[in-house]
Amino acid sequence: MKTIEEQTLDNVKASPDKVALISGETEVTYSRLWDYCLKAAAKLKSEYNVQKGDRVILSAASNIEFVYVYFGVHMAGGICVPIDPDTNQTRFNYIEKSTKPVCVMGTLHNVQRETIQFDDVIEGEAKAEYYAPETNQVADILFTTGTTGAPKGVALSYANLSAAALNINTFIQNTKEDVELLALPVSHSFGLGRIRCSLSMGATVVMLGTFANVKKFFGEMKRCNVSMFAMVPASWGFIKKMSGKYVGKFADQLKFIEIGSSFMPIEEKQLLMELLPNTRICMHYGSTEASRSAFMEFHTYKDNLLSAGHASPNTEIKIFSTEGQLLPLGEEGEACVKGAHVTCGYWNETPERFASDFYDGYFRTGDCATMDADGNMYLKSRIKEMINVGGKKVTPMEVEDILNTIPGIKESACIGISDPGNVLGEVVKAFIVVEDTLTDEDIMKQMRPQLEVYKLPVVIERINSIPKTGSGKIQRLSLKTK
Amino acid sequence: MEVKEKIFEIIANILELKAEEITLESTVGDFPTWDSLGQLNILQSVMDEFEVEFEPEEMMDIEDVNDIIKAVESKL
Repeated sequence: MKTIEEQTLDNVKASPDKVALISGETEVTYSRLWDYCLKAAAKLKSEYNVQKGDRVILSAASNIEFVYVYFGVHMAGGICVPIDPDTNQTRFNYIEKSTKPVCVMGTLHNVQRETIQFDDVIEGEAKAEYYAPETNQVADILFTTGTTGAPKGVALSYANLSAAALNINTFIQNTKEDVELLALPVSHSFGLGRIRCSLSMGATVVMLGTFANVKKFFGEMKRCNVSMFAMVPASWGFIKKMSGKYVGKFADQLKFIEIGSSFMPIEEKQLLMELLPNTRICMHYGSTEASRSAFMEFHTYKDNLLSAGHASPNTEIKIFSTEGQLLPLGEEGEACVKGAHVTCGYWNETPERFASDFYDGYFRTGDCATMDADGNMYLKSRIKEMINVGGKKVTPMEVEDILNTIPGIKESACIGISDPGNVLGEVVKAFIVVEDTLTDEDIMKQMRPQLEVYKLPVVIERINSIPKTGSGKIQRLSLKTK
Repeated sequence: MEVKEKIFEIIANILELKAEEITLESTVGDFPTWDSLGQLNILQSVMDEFEVEFEPEEMMDIEDVNDIIKAVESKL
């Protein structure tokens, strides 16, 4: 299978003057995009000494220059490590130590570290020669928040990325005629994957980078005649709060919407179907390790909207017991995925350790599910205890570590609860064992400088002791039922 | 306190900025903290503080600080 870059090159040859990227008033054709990527590759090799297999940390801001440098790193033979521009110092230090990058590029808002600006990488006249890499080479490392507290570097090969894009495009049915509005952050697997999907197809991507300005979101939709966009359920919560049913005005224009995998109330699904009766509204189930392993389209699944859908094209899903035995249909167990899109490994982990993430060649997702006779999957609970705040993942341990340093707090445990405002999906709730004199405001004052806003607890409850297993592990799931 | 000053104070608090860093033209996305969550918090706090209610279509038209002030003043 051709890499995303090779597929993009095919599009450059077939339609050099077709617009690939739009950002504000700037329009970039496929041939210009390719030129800039080659320029970035040349400079990465000559000036920043990037060689085959070298890691480059990229602050993944949603701008055109990021796209040039992202592909430029690949073309120079390097491995991209895209991170959120708002990454905090602790997480950055961890990622830097883990990947030992040859350079760090783009603007990082919360990190004390000299970085190379994207503009400097793409200026210059020299262009690299493009050689297709071996498809089993690692292309990207994306760091998850990790379930055990320490982030994990998910390595994705060129073959993984191409397979995922093919599966997604096949299911959604978008074509090169489509214009995609990209408001998701590109530092996450979902947003970055969308760029690869559209560019490999030869379509046009309008870079917006945020849903925050809903007027602009709809303004760009109209101005650029957008036919598809992607969002997470929390984005829809925000769009609805800010604009009511306005999206319905684009019912004849929007052909596709892709929705990310987190809980979405059935009423919200029905509302979207009502507002967009002719749009293919495709909700996926997946993770960074196994991007979009299942899909369901709302209108097709109108009588089965609680299902997480069917395995994606070229993908198999089976349900295994905790002992690694294949379970009969209808029985609850761990959803496990097989396909060329499944990660080729975790960075800095041994193949032996990685092998334990599989049952009989099927990658263990950590999600509990059942499957019916038609192959439709139903998610029961997340075995993982990650808190999903508006699409941003928070590990309980990260918040607890800060809480536990506050004088007066003896111990703590955090869980996700439904957002009382009904917008973010989940928010953080902290359970603390504490001295009486400490107020919520005292606690928050000490936490604010240390954590991003979305990681701050929205509810704090005082309890006498934190429930633990015999071996001393916090039983967060039991707190959920409190 | 005037409406304008109070709104500057609310925005500065939510976005963890100094009031001097904000201008009438400051808009969603100008600061890393002014993302969709920031916008939601700002509008909710403004509605609570001035005891006004914005319809979704009114909220959609609010892009910068000036828009917030105008929206509040039109309801008082």
